[in-house]
Amino acid sequence: MTVRSWQRLRAPGPLSLVAGCLVPVAGTFAIDSALEGIIGLAAQVLALGWLIRDVRGTVLRAAVGFVAAAGIAVSTWLYGGRDLGEAGMAACRILYLVLPSSMLLPLLRPSQLGDHLAQRLHLPDRGVVACVAALQALDAFAADWRTIQHARRARGLGLDGGPWHRLKGSGATAFALLVVSMRHTGAMSVAMDARGFASATDRTWAEPAPWRPADSLLLSQAVLLAALPWLLH
Amino acid sequence: MTTDTTTRPASATPSWRTIDLMTTAVIGVVFGVAYWGWSSGYTAIETAAPVIGAAKGLLGGPWLIAGVVGGLVVRRPGAALVAETLAAAVSGMIGTQWGATVLLSGVLQGLGVELALAFFLFRSYRVWVAMLGGVLAAAFEMLYEWDAYWSGMTTGWKLTYLGCFALSGAVVAGVGGWALTRALAASGAIDALPAGREAADDRSP
Repeated sequence: MTVRSWQRLRAPGPLSLVAGCLVPVAGTFAIDSALEGIIGLAAQVLALGWLIRDVRGTVLRAAVGFVAAAGIAVSTWLYGGRDLGEAGMAACRILYLVLPSSMLLPLLRPSQLGDHLAQRLHLPDRGVVACVAALQALDAFAADWRTIQHARRARGLGLDGGPWHRLKGSGATAFALLVVSMRHTGAMSVAMDARGFASATDRTWAEPAPWRPADSLLLSQAVLLAALPWLLH
Repeated sequence: MTTDTTTRPASATPSWRTIDLMTTAVIGVVFGVAYWGWSSGYTAIETAAPVIGAAKGLLGGPWLIAGVVGGLVVRRPGAALVAETLAAAVSGMIGTQWGATVLLSGVLQGLGVELALAFFLFRSYRVWVAMLGGVLAAAFEMLYEWDAYWSGMTTGWKLTYLGCFALSGAVVAGVGGWALTRALAASGAIDALPAGREAADDRSP
C-alpha cells in the first residue's frame, strides 16, 4: 500500500464520520458486564484509533466522557444496589457511547457536512444552506457577545460582584445576544433573497461530495462495533 | 419554488420563507452554544453531588428549550425539530461528554415538542402548549435514556427521574421558552415572524 492511499484511507468524509459516531451506539444496549464493556472499548480504540489526527481534541473529549462515566458509576453504585459490577457496567456503557465521538468528531468540518448532506443525502438544500450559514455566524456571535459585555461595562452594569450577580449579568448578555442575532438574521435573509436564494433552481456547492473507500471502511467498522457487544452476549 | 409565499398570511402557509429557515437555524446554533455551556455545569453538579439521585432530572429542562423557542417563534411544522436537533449537534461539535449521541437526544426531544404542537394543529402557541411540549420532549428523551443511561437503576428510580425531568421540562423549557419568546417578540427583533407579528399587532392595532 502506498503512502498516498494510506493517507486517503485515513481521511473519511463527513457522512461516514457521523455514522461512525452514531452506529456503535446500537451496541451499547447489549453490554451486560464490565468485562464485555472493557473488551468492547478496546475494540473501539483498535478499530478507530488510527484515524485520530487531533490528539488534544480527542483527549479533552474523552476526558469529559471519563468524568461523566465516573459520575454515573458512583450514582449507580449508590442507587442500583451497591454492586461494583453494575457500576462498572454502567460506566462502560457511557464510554461505549462517547469514545467513538471523541475520536471522530474532531475530524468533522461543518461546511463539508452541509455539502454532503445536500448532495449525497439530498436533504432540502435551502434548509442545509441555512444551517451551515448559521454555523458560520458562530464567530460573529462570539464577537457580539464581547461587544455587548463592553457596552454593559461602560454603563456600569459590569460583571463584577458575587456569583449571583455574574449569573444575572450573563443572562442579560445572552438575551441581548439573542435579540442582536435575530435582527442580524432578518437582514441576512433579505440579503440572501435579494440574491435569489428562495427561487434558485440550480444550486452550486462549495465542494463535490464523493463517497470514497475510506467511507465504506469506516462504515463497516462502525457496523462491526455495533454488532460486537451482541456477539459477545 | 413559488415566489408568492410572502403574500399569504404566515400562519396559513406551511411553506418556509428564507427568514423562517434562517431564524430556526440561528436559534439552533445560539442555543447549541448555551447547551454546551450548561453541559459543564450539569457535569459538575452530577459529579460533585451524586446524592441528589433521581432529582438530577430537575437539571434536564434547559436541554429542551431550543425546540420550544424554535417552534413558538417560527410556528411551522418541523421548526422545533430542526432547532433542537441543530442545537444538540452544535453542542456536540464543540464537545460535550455525550459525543455525537446528542444527535439522537436532539431528534427525540424535538419530536416531543413537535407532537405537542401538532396536537393543537400548529394553531395554538399558548403557555400550556409550550409546557406540554417540554413534558413530551422529556418523555421522548427518556425512551433512549431508560436503557442507555440508567440501565443499573431500579424502575422506581427511573420513574422518579422521569417525573423530575418532565417537571423541569414544563417549567424551564415550557414556561421559560414561552417567556423568552414573548420577550423576544416585545423587543421587536422578530417582527417578521409569526410570534413577533402578533406582538407588533398588539402594540399598534
